[in-house]
Amino acid sequence: MTFQAKRGEFLFLTGPSGAGKSTLLRLIFHAERPTEGQIIVNGMNVSGMPASRVPILRRSMGIVFQDYKLLPRRTVLENVTYVQKFLGVPAAERRRRAYQTLRLVELHHRLSALPEELSGGEQQRVALARALVNEPVLLVADEPTGNLDHRLASEVMKLLQDVSVRGTTVLVATHDLDLIRAAGRRCVTLDRGRVVEGLVEAALPPQAQAKRGEGRLDGRDGREPRETRGEEAP
Amino acid sequence: MNRPAALAALVSEAFEGLLRARRMTSLSVALIAISIGLVGAFFLVAENLKSVVETVRDESTLTVFLKSAATEADRADLEGLVQATRLVTKLRRVSPDDARARFSTWWKSLGPAARSLPGNPFPASIEMELDPAAVSSEALPPFLRLLAAHRATEEVQFDVEWIRRLRGAVALARLTGLVLAVLLMLGAAFTIANVVRLTILLHRDEIEILRLVGAPELLIRGPFLLGGLVQGLLGALVALAVLWITTRAVLAWVAATKNALLGVFAVRFLPLSTCLLLVAFGLAAGLLGGALAVRRGNLAG
Repeated sequence: MTFQAKRGEFLFLTGPSGAGKSTLLRLIFHAERPTEGQIIVNGMNVSGMPASRVPILRRSMGIVFQDYKLLPRRTVLENVTYVQKFLGVPAAERRRRAYQTLRLVELHHRLSALPEELSGGEQQRVALARALVNEPVLLVADEPTGNLDHRLASEVMKLLQDVSVRGTTVLVATHDLDLIRAAGRRCVTLDRGRVVEGLVEAALPPQAQAKRGEGRLDGRDGREPRETRGEEAP
Repeated sequence: MNRPAALAALVSEAFEGLLRARRMTSLSVALIAISIGLVGAFFLVAENLKSVVETVRDESTLTVFLKSAATEADRADLEGLVQATRLVTKLRRVSPDDARARFSTWWKSLGPAARSLPGNPFPASIEMELDPAAVSSEALPPFLRLLAAHRATEEVQFDVEWIRRLRGAVALARLTGLVLAVLLMLGAAFTIANVVRLTILLHRDEIEILRLVGAPELLIRGPFLLGGLVQGLLGALVALAVLWITTRAVLAWVAATKNALLGVFAVRFLPLSTCLLLVAFGLAAGLLGGALAVRRGNLAG
């Protein structure tokens, strides 16, 4: 499969369960190695990257997970600045950057709170702040709203779209069709080894379109989706 | 990258980790302290035996007890013989009266008994202080034979065999200490490795998160390695402290008993070089344990 994303672009990655959305994201941030092919992130070839370069790659991108993956014994401020601390960024600078980023996600008043003291939406916003604090060129989010109710999910999606406006490429994997529809952004659909993209309505099989109200894409209707871009997987 | 700031962060993270796993750290430090303490105890025994050997050797006098029939001319001849060699640094005549007075001073409780004897049973003697190099000199045995064969000599007393045995004991204690040091250091390293491994297991989630957010590998492994080093260092320092307190207690006990025989043992603590060696053992065990724990299998990405 082949697809590209431009700088500052916001795009969704969707498809039925098991279609490989998370695997594709894991390939992008080198949590898994491709057996063949190339993945280029900001000019860096991720596929053949030696292990020693992986931390540099990951620091050039932000990663947001469905389960937030916050350090449980660290405060909001520490979670956001943890890695910077070990890169030798002075404390004042770390605090300034963290404050600015947390302000963006409207959590600047909870600097000393522990993750367990925050709601799910707040925890996801901390995770987002952590992903943004290094001003990444690419932000990948794997089901970032999977554990949130609709209102919180919309808030997080709004933040992600704001991030792309600021010049960061944002790639969100989700099978929440309501969110995809609401955003009206480019959508890469993975299905049967093909990349299908376009607005979600174009990518969805009719059966799924009929179930728009249910808002989840987690089944197949047996029809070939429309291929707009991409190559067949070898 | 601001390296000093990054290093400071690494050190503070290592200490935070140790403090968070307080109980395990304490247990590990205690086990390391016991290991290093045992090694230190052997070195301490060797050190004090060595000290006894040195004391005895320094103070060892070769004593020639004279026949009661020995004349002044015989004594002068014997002294001439001694002075002809360069083995003796000092020579002193001890009369029977001096010998009895000395006995009464050294063995106070037996003094009255000695004084009550009819006549003076103590023989006259000539005490010679040997040059320190003479003790192990090849010229000593023929010299001793020469003295023993002299017409004025009743008996020649010199504790060279005892000193040799003591030296053997010192060498044995040292060797045992060194073998024990290597074995216990490996034991301590495994203790540290297991404690660090448990800490890694406890922090598995955090380690995964750190990797995902692009933390440098040094940051992930560094605190565990440093943690091992700190445990080794603390274990060594605790062991040294316990040994020092024990030495002081033995000293106080010896002083309190006022036993003349124990006076020979001038109890002393380990020299600085041995203390540093024990600290190095602790650090080496800590580093080895930390390194074993952060092997790729335990900290797999």
